[in-house]
Amino acid sequence: MRRFLDRLYLASAALGATFILLIMLLMIGQSVAREFGVRTGAINDIVAWFCAAASFFAMAHAFKHGDFVRVTLLLDSLSPRTRRALEISSLSLASVAVAYLAFWANRFTYESWLFEEKAQGLLPLPIWIPQASFALGSLLLLVAVLDELVLVLRGQKPSYVTAVEQRHAQGDFSSDI
Amino acid sequence: MDILLVGGLLLLVMMVLLAGGVWIAMTLAICGWIGQAFFTNTSPGNNLFSSFWESNASWELAALPLFIWMGEILFRTRLSEDMFEGLRPWLNRVPGRLMHTTILGCGIFGSVSGSSAATCATIAKVALPQLLKRGYNEQLAIGSLATAGTLGILIPPSITMVVYAVAADASIIRIFLAGFLPGFLLMALFSGYIMWWSLRHPDLVPPADPPTTFMEKIRRSGSLLPCTALIIFVVWVLIAGYATATECAAYGVLGSLGLAAWSRSLTWANFCEALMGTTRTSCMIMFILAGAAFLTKTMAFTGIPRELAEWVTAMQLSPLALIAVLTVVYLILGTALDGISMIVLTSAVVLPMIQKAGFDLIWFGIFIVLLVEIAEVTPPVGFNLFVLQNMTGKDSNVIAKAALPFFGCLVVCIVLITVFPQIVTILPDLIMGKGG
Repeated sequence: MRRFLDRLYLASAALGATFILLIMLLMIGQSVAREFGVRTGAINDIVAWFCAAASFFAMAHAFKHGDFVRVTLLLDSLSPRTRRALEISSLSLASVAVAYLAFWANRFTYESWLFEEKAQGLLPLPIWIPQASFALGSLLLLVAVLDELVLVLRGQKPSYVTAVEQRHAQGDFSSDI
Repeated sequence: MDILLVGGLLLLVMMVLLAGGVWIAMTLAICGWIGQAFFTNTSPGNNLFSSFWESNASWELAALPLFIWMGEILFRTRLSEDMFEGLRPWLNRVPGRLMHTTILGCGIFGSVSGSSAATCATIAKVALPQLLKRGYNEQLAIGSLATAGTLGILIPPSITMVVYAVAADASIIRIFLAGFLPGFLLMALFSGYIMWWSLRHPDLVPPADPPTTFMEKIRRSGSLLPCTALIIFVVWVLIAGYATATECAAYGVLGSLGLAAWSRSLTWANFCEALMGTTRTSCMIMFILAGAAFLTKTMAFTGIPRELAEWVTAMQLSPLALIAVLTVVYLILGTALDGISMIVLTSAVVLPMIQKAGFDLIWFGIFIVLLVEIAEVTPPVGFNLFVLQNMTGKDSNVIAKAALPFFGCLVVCIVLITVFPQIVTILPDLIMGKGG
């Protein structure tokens, strides 16, 4: 189960990474095509959807990896017991919030599919197709948050904390802006 | 209920959640939800979906992952080694000598990278051991590296500026152009301080390297050519208006990949690592932007920013007093928050206020970037301090103290652009025309 989940998060993030690669290729393709007088307006819509997909598919992995920023000023100065209590309360709140997000993402996408809504813009694709990245990504994020909550309740240190500690110990600050 | 009271309540909830360690993006969204659910008649669920979807499915925002990627690729090349070797022979006669490699190195790397911590880490990795080996003053080197690293977000491309442009609905290219002159000004201030320090402490500056001939200098700097070409290319594309910011970023990535391949540091593992790092970082930023977009919607529905702007107008603060107050607010925020969060957190409330007071949004963008730079080098939370703490093993307070004179340069730069706003606006106005 542990290995399956971790692979799932990573695979989803790799999918997100692929979308970023595709954005780059599309943008270059567009500028070249424009030189030859090809109309490429629809590419802008696709790039926008890819941008959303890149972000939504990576959410679960980025969360587990400790990339989501939070204020740790107070947390770091607390005793391990109090800190654990705060981690549990943060994770519980996050679970509720993300569950709400996932519910609406899926409900909305489902309605787009039900009413066969088309994208406004130059590419009249059924809008539920790009929106599915939001629906799936938010569900996976919910799984990741619940996963962490269970880990911490079982008495482990949250993986988003260990991941950051490890990175910084190796002198890797590439994920800090 | 009084609208400003609602605003105060939301602010209180936000502070409690943030202090308790709830993720920033989620805190923003939760506060947005409370505001909409209890104080408006709209359906928060529908708005939540549309804010998240519209803020992330944005063609403008696609420049963000690409600019991050460019920095991630170059971070993993030999660029910083080449830069040190290439700059070295030219600096023998300048007071302060090799100490200036920190400023110039960060400035050059800043013009291909959009991140402050990455710039600081990349340049410090090479320059710090080299400077210490030659006997340069450690405190000055650390302070200058910590602060000059922040040039990464002032000299375009800049991730912080992309985020601000999206939050303020301003043109990315315009704000990039606005960053050049303040960036040069800041470099001049930093270098000026190093010269002044070196002239005052001649005994603490190690002797010059043996002199080299002009041709030798050119030969050594040859390794800098590819990087220079990349910078010129990106800047030229921006200024000439050939491409949009996103296209420019895409070519930047291509160029960086080429540069990495040329210096033989492009491996499959490196490529994947850089791309995955990019994905995570841009996901993190876009998640915050989405949460902030939802909160912004709440603000629009409740009318808090309008009310607040009127309240501020009623106080009849002079524009300068307003800027002074905001500076203090951002300095305080900067002690606990990172730059991106600081910008998106405040933009919904502060930008209407600023516009009403008659400030240019582009100018304010540069102003806020400079304040973010200060935040990066102020304890307890400053990423550049963490980077150098990690590299030198010194306490972050010691590093912050070493950075203090350069911190002063940043303050001088803020004062200068406030007194002479033309420093910021002249370049974008000249190239893109006024307004827009």
